Amino acid sequence: MTGRKLTWPLAFVLFGALIVSLFPVFWIVMTAIKPPTDWNASPAIWIPSHPTLINFKTLFDPDSIRAYGVGGVSQAATNSVFGSLLASVVGTALSVAIGLFAAIGISRYANGGKATPLIILSGRMFPPAAIAVPFVIIYSNVGLIDTYRGLIAIYVAGTLPFSTWMLKSFVDDLPREIEEAAMIDGRSRLMAHVFVTIPLIRGGLLATTLFVFILNWSEFMFALVLSYSNVTTIPVQLARYVTATAGTLYGVQAALAVLAMIPLVLAGLLIQSHLARGMTFGAVKR
Amino acid sequence: MNELSELRVASEVSDLAREDAQGVTAPRSSLPSNRLGQLLMLPGQIVSLLVLVVPLVVAFYMSFTDWTPTHGSLLEATLVGLDNYKELLIYDTRFVEAVVRTLLISAVCLALEFVFGLSLAVLFLREFRGKAILFSAFLTPMMILPVVVGYTFWMLFQSNGPINQLLMLAFGSGAGLQWFRSAPLAVSAVIITEVWHWTPLFFLILLSGLNAIPENPVRAAVILGATPRQVFWRIVLPMLKPVIIVAFVIRAMEIVKLFDEVFMLTRGGPGTSTETISLYIYKLAFADFQLAYGAAAAFLVLLGTLVLIHLLLAPIRNQLLEARR
Amino acid sequence: MTFPKLEIVNLRKLFGNESFVALDGVDFAVEAGETVALLGPSGCGKSTTLNIIVGLEQPTSGDIRIDGRSVIGIPPGKRNVGLVFQDYAVFTHMTVFENLAFGLIIRGRAKAEIARAVHDVAELLGMQNSLKLSAAELGGSELQRVAIGRTLVTKPAILLLDEPLSNLEASARIAMRRELRRLQSEIGLTIIYVTHDQVEALCLADRIAVMNAGKLQQIERTSVICKKPDHVFVAGFMGSPPMNLLRGEIIGDGTSAGFRRDGLIIRLPSSEAFATNYVGQPIILGLRPESLTLAAANEATICGKVAVVEPRGPEAVVTVEAGTVSLKAVVPTAERPQEGADIGLLADPSSFVFFSGETGRRLAS
Repeated sequence: MTGRKLTWPLAFVLFGALIVSLFPVFWIVMTAIKPPTDWNASPAIWIPSHPTLINFKTLFDPDSIRAYGVGGVSQAATNSVFGSLLASVVGTALSVAIGLFAAIGISRYANGGKATPLIILSGRMFPPAAIAVPFVIIYSNVGLIDTYRGLIAIYVAGTLPFSTWMLKSFVDDLPREIEEAAMIDGRSRLMAHVFVTIPLIRGGLLATTLFVFILNWSEFMFALVLSYSNVTTIPVQLARYVTATAGTLYGVQAALAVLAMIPLVLAGLLIQSHLARGMTFGAVKR
Repeated sequence: MNELSELRVASEVSDLAREDAQGVTAPRSSLPSNRLGQLLMLPGQIVSLLVLVVPLVVAFYMSFTDWTPTHGSLLEATLVGLDNYKELLIYDTRFVEAVVRTLLISAVCLALEFVFGLSLAVLFLREFRGKAILFSAFLTPMMILPVVVGYTFWMLFQSNGPINQLLMLAFGSGAGLQWFRSAPLAVSAVIITEVWHWTPLFFLILLSGLNAIPENPVRAAVILGATPRQVFWRIVLPMLKPVIIVAFVIRAMEIVKLFDEVFMLTRGGPGTSTETISLYIYKLAFADFQLAYGAAAAFLVLLGTLVLIHLLLAPIRNQLLEARR
Repeated sequence: MTFPKLEIVNLRKLFGNESFVALDGVDFAVEAGETVALLGPSGCGKSTTLNIIVGLEQPTSGDIRIDGRSVIGIPPGKRNVGLVFQDYAVFTHMTVFENLAFGLIIRGRAKAEIARAVHDVAELLGMQNSLKLSAAELGGSELQRVAIGRTLVTKPAILLLDEPLSNLEASARIAMRRELRRLQSEIGLTIIYVTHDQVEALCLADRIAVMNAGKLQQIERTSVICKKPDHVFVAGFMGSPPMNLLRGEIIGDGTSAGFRRDGLIIRLPSSEAFATNYVGQPIILGLRPESLTLAAANEATICGKVAVVEPRGPEAVVTVEAGTVSLKAVVPTAERPQEGADIGLLADPSSFVFFSGETGRRLAS
């Protein structure tokens, strides 16, 4: 089964699949560096003859955006970048921290019965559009609409299943005896977890953090629904650029998209070996 | 957490720490401290409770009323029993269409993602150079934000875009398609986008599964005279079944919520031909402000998703339970 | 002219770009209906030999012949050789019946024929009632029977087994030993099996091939090999406890010869006159524990102190220390001495075996 060589026809297929996989990325990067004159060319241009970085500058310059005279969209992307960073970083940190403790609790103590794990997992099954409904109502009453606090709370709850389950599978991999040994050495149970368990799953902790970050950074629906003027994230900003301008702002939009992609592709490369574990809630390990 | 509960937690922690430090000469290794376990899970439970359970309960209650934001407080809304649910299931053809449409699109996407992902995974079992780089490259589509994927393919499918250019190159100048003007083409565009985005997940999971299959049964089959094809269909694939099902369940759970890509590609159009359930609920709640009705729709979807997952997991229920132990 | 059933011809196998020699010219033949054990420590090349016979690996040079014809180019499925893995490798997603039938199913045989063949083998192995069970539900020795049955259904000419008894617990081991012996006599298969346990080798095999570091040290009938080891390695490997091996030299003055090791001198009878040819050379003297008996001090060949007594049912293994020498003797339980007692051992000179201290080979008289 393993170990056979790649024949030429198969290599061709592999190459074809590679082209297909990377072409859209190629396209959007090329679009991001197209000068405005190339944007609406017909047929669309594949590789600009005079590539430029001006689109990236335009993104952060409110005057330039306004100069395009696009209806209602005079926002530079600066707020959205800031917003994405804030919501994603804080949301990830909290999600991983809470998930870490829950993971240790579930893995080592397994009480709280089956209910807690099930509740956490079911958070993934509900269509976001629907959970957004009560959220809008509750948040309006509590004054959390259009605040980062509110958005972060959702990001934490939404990614808690992943962080808990992924970390639980890492903690499960450690034999219980390690903590027992630390306790025999004189540490209390809690300290054993802090000084022994957690450092030993460092790698898994990093992988989980990056994985949750990817999820939060990509989140669209809740940000869309809960943000009005104060709160914006990159995905929402991108959607605004597209819908408001009926798509004639290609270069700038693409530039924002590329900016959005970069952290994720990097994060993805870093945690590649743990992706299978993360994507399947710990069911499949590498 | 408010100050009072924080104080309570702090005192519990110090009690535990003191208790453990004193009692440590005789390690209680076989009896984990329940209190510590409960404490550790507390933040997670609180978050889930506040941010998941409470809104869910509110939404559930709301689904039995006829409340809209103009009605005043939710608590004063009139209960209408199962009216919303009846309306959805019996009269609301748009809802039923959205459900059927979502299921069909999901089924097609899952099938294609499985076939492509498996083919790629099998290819990766062979020996060739640059595997590591190629592996990363093939995982890339999965790592891109759904909105960006939607946006990118929206550009690609434009009338003057590269996909039409390639079609015209291959089949002549009349071969360009109006992807967003006709229902079947729009649905195809959505499917192509989804499959491109998530095939890497199947590839990743199936490759992990394939690598985990023990060598000796495969060798035994070869010694008994099986051809590579027979080995694949009779030994490898059946042994891969649990992993395949996990992949399907994971992906099924997410794909029924399809929103971001479709939003950027077609907004549900032309007409309602690509309107997924999530898009319909979004419209109900945030365009039409029919929040109670939308909540009912959401719970029906939740119920359906639970049933779907239950059915998908049935073949490997025993194996999963054993793995837990 | 009849060919031996299986011939291993000068087999060489190199791994890792020629750096590791797994097999270094292994050469022997197995007759039809024989059972041969490949015995040796891990890494000696016995499993590699098995893999090459069945076709999972190719030799670097040399040949494998079945019934006189080379099978090197023939793929594993077509050599008519069966292999039972150490971990059995049963198809856990199939039933017992499907496992047994597998070889015939993929050859496209008729259902009736398959059913008959499977039932015959199932009866032979006592599994008629388990046919509908899922393979995943079976225990260790049942799995092994399925693995064996699976190959028997295809009626192989040669059956190979990799460590057939090592994964079983003691009671299952005895039962399986009996099973295999019964199969041997009922079907008349040619069987080759690999083991690192010489007890396993002694109880099942007609002949034992002792391997070490890629070389075949000796292949000999079971009844003979313990008494006539060709090499010091074989001597130290076979037997429980293995042969006592003393390094020393021959001394002699022309009329009589003796073996000396430090302060210990053992007179050699005139029947061992050949020993005088080796005066002054390093020699290893082999004394089988069974050939040492307790004796009074004035009659003993060696005197020493009892260090350890290990009871073993009807007999006991007594470790005796005399100066720098440590010997093991096997004595009947009734006669076993106390630990710490002074003791004398009488060696039977007819069972002395001499090996060259340089090459390790047995010196013929």
